[in-house]
Amino acid sequence: MRENFSQESLHQLAAHWAPSQNKNHPFRIYHDTSDFFQIEYGDIVVLNDKAYLVRHNAKEGRFGLDDEVKFWVKRAIDLSNGETKFIKLVFYENFIARIGDISFECFRSPVKEARILNLIGHHPNFMHGFSVPDDQGNVVRILDVIFGLTLADHIWALAARMDHETYFYQYFPEILDKYIECVEAIRFLHEYGEKHGDIRRDHLLVDRDSGQYRWIDFDYNFRHRENIYGYDLFGLGNVLMFLAGMGDALVPYIKTTDLKLYGELNDNDTNIVFNNRVANLIKIYPYIPKNLNRILMHFSKSANVFYDHTTQLLEDLYEFKSCFPGKEVRNEP
Amino acid sequence: MNPEVNRNILIAVDASENSRRAVQYVADLLGGIKGFSATLLHVIREPEEDEFPDPEEKEKWYQEYRRQVDLMLEDYRRMLIGAGFAPEAVSTRSSLRYCPSMAECIIAERDSLEYATLVVGRKGLSLKEEFLFGSISGKIVRIARDCAVWVVE
Repeated sequence: MRENFSQESLHQLAAHWAPSQNKNHPFRIYHDTSDFFQIEYGDIVVLNDKAYLVRHNAKEGRFGLDDEVKFWVKRAIDLSNGETKFIKLVFYENFIARIGDISFECFRSPVKEARILNLIGHHPNFMHGFSVPDDQGNVVRILDVIFGLTLADHIWALAARMDHETYFYQYFPEILDKYIECVEAIRFLHEYGEKHGDIRRDHLLVDRDSGQYRWIDFDYNFRHRENIYGYDLFGLGNVLMFLAGMGDALVPYIKTTDLKLYGELNDNDTNIVFNNRVANLIKIYPYIPKNLNRILMHFSKSANVFYDHTTQLLEDLYEFKSCFPGKEVRNEP
Repeated sequence: MNPEVNRNILIAVDASENSRRAVQYVADLLGGIKGFSATLLHVIREPEEDEFPDPEEKEKWYQEYRRQVDLMLEDYRRMLIGAGFAPEAVSTRSSLRYCPSMAECIIAERDSLEYATLVVGRKGLSLKEEFLFGSISGKIVRIARDCAVWVVE
């Protein structure tokens, strides 16, 4: 039988876990979350007989569009134990994704994300959570909150404090180990026939508690063509390029700051899709080992052999790792 | 003609221009020569479980897709017959299946039907498209065993 929360019982629970909540506030209670725009601060969402007090909509900073509000993702308090959760409601969205000059049709897939949450359990390199149907059968995902910076912000914070060579020898080895863990995590998904679907450096969070990198947001999906994992591998390559370069090595920036280097770069040195990013980092940072640079060049315009599977990328990463680094290594701050 | 030689040809097609070129190539090359038979194959990729908002939408999509596939296959069939293939020597086949790799699905069909020659069109993907999404014809060439593969550009 479905739990029916009274206003009084909800206020008692809220008083315990959210004392700042207005005592006279009449709670609106949602068992059907289809109209997620209506669900606002101070509302109650009841899922699987648990009451969640909504605090606010989640936001996502992304490529300059800071604080883009995600109305379908609510930050909420589980009134049974006071834990803060993200409640990801069902938002069916079809859109055209553009990568460079290539476009393809994507859609949000709550079922895919729910399936993956179930598959990964407590895997340390993923966000954790579970799914539960609301009264209308919407597949709602209840997610643990990960406290920490995105990997992009983390690297930029390091970049603000040091030159590349210091970073590369003192911090990159540990970062590489954590990145490899993340590639292993994606391999795990692929072994079960799942793709992440939207691998980006801001879809990796640096867990403030464990220090581990954790993948988030698995609900992007698309009708793949031949290689179901190609797009994920492309994302992994971009992340590696970003990590090895302590940020993006941008051609326009090089043009304005180092004309000699700019003159030495050619088309084949750039990222296969994002042609304003340099993949051939050894030209900028000559101390980058050749076997790491070779991996990066698989994601460059000059590549004629691609990684088909994460295992191939991992083999090359382990080979590189076995002979790196040579100098003092510091733990990541 | 050596009667032992398998002269069954499987042409894997979709609605693209490169598929049409592949069918035309077989028609031009083998039309009117006795002893050859051809099957036109289209593999329908099973959509993901929530690609459609509800099962009715999915069924509607499937019925419409199937109708278009039947028309396409019939069109290609006529091309082969028009070029001189005996009507009884040209068949069509379409199957709905879970397909993480279309190339592997096509090869699986070939294996089960024991065709000696597999014909596909080549889309002419750019390097980056091939990198991101993979190439069906490229993979077929790489993984096909015990058959000849014709890639028509």
